Amino acid sequence: MTRQEILDELKKVIAPYTVNKDMLNSIDDQTDLIKDLKINSANLVDIIIDAEAKYDIEIDYDAADKMVNVGTCIDVISERLNQKI
Amino acid sequence: MISAGNDIVCLSTINAARTNQYKFYSKILSDAEFPLYNEFSLAGIPFEIFVWLLWSVKESAYKFLQRHQPGLIFTPVKFVVTSLQLPAGLQLTSFGLPQLTGSGFDSTVAGIVNYDSFCLHSRSLLYNELIATVINGDSHFNHITWGIKVVDSDDTEKQSLEVRSFLIESIKEVFGEGNFRVDKNVHGCPVLVKNGEEMDVPVSLSHHEGFVGYSFPLPVL
Repeated sequence: MTRQEILDELKKVIAPYTVNKDMLNSIDDQTDLIKDLKINSANLVDIIIDAEAKYDIEIDYDAADKMVNVGTCIDVISERLNQKI
Repeated sequence: MISAGNDIVCLSTINAARTNQYKFYSKILSDAEFPLYNEFSLAGIPFEIFVWLLWSVKESAYKFLQRHQPGLIFTPVKFVVTSLQLPAGLQLTSFGLPQLTGSGFDSTVAGIVNYDSFCLHSRSLLYNELIATVINGDSHFNHITWGIKVVDSDDTEKQSLEVRSFLIESIKEVFGEGNFRVDKNVHGCPVLVKNGEEMDVPVSLSHHEGFVGYSFPLPVL
């Protein structure tokens, strides 16, 4: 999957947990999940679980550490997808 | 270490079925923490409440430490709760108040949480609707002032304004009148400002759905 394809799917994963739906359409690598998308920290585990299911990957807590903005989320998902090949 | 850390979990928003799945709770709990549930189980407290209680303790501890370690990343399983003591005969009741404030705690879940070389203490209030936790560097909480308030907006911006206003009410009771406001420093930690100058009083804010809360230590005289 390209980064753009991962981003398109990631938006669907994030959508239920952000109240900032307008910003979701214009997110980029620098968009912070908590500060910009106003996602409650209590939902971060939901996002990781949903991403695992969406991409059929496993995200351990060391990788989850890095998932603070959209760019690092894509990095982690991309890395895990490449490990499957 | 002087700091502040609190957290609120609105229990009506948690997904109990999901929380009870291993793949979910294993991202919050470490293996060493599972035995702590025994006492909660005997008290009839569901596992999902236990999981979110530990989340609340860990998130509060993270906030407490992050003020002094700006680069700290919140990884729940790396914050290890080693002790959780339930008050005798605890039964969950309804919060049933528009707001609740206090200094110190009488009957709460008392915990100890470790991160790296740090050992912190927690006090958590459990109600049917919410979990509210406050962290301190030692087991003496009499100087820790805290508040919990029901809010009727799920708009995070409004909740943010509401919790600041709620905190400042309490701050004025302690420090007297003044032009107070709460800003965030460059690391995202809330800081108290009086008449344009940052005060040396760490504050912690939390909001989740229908509840907001704060905590701060009273200055040592």
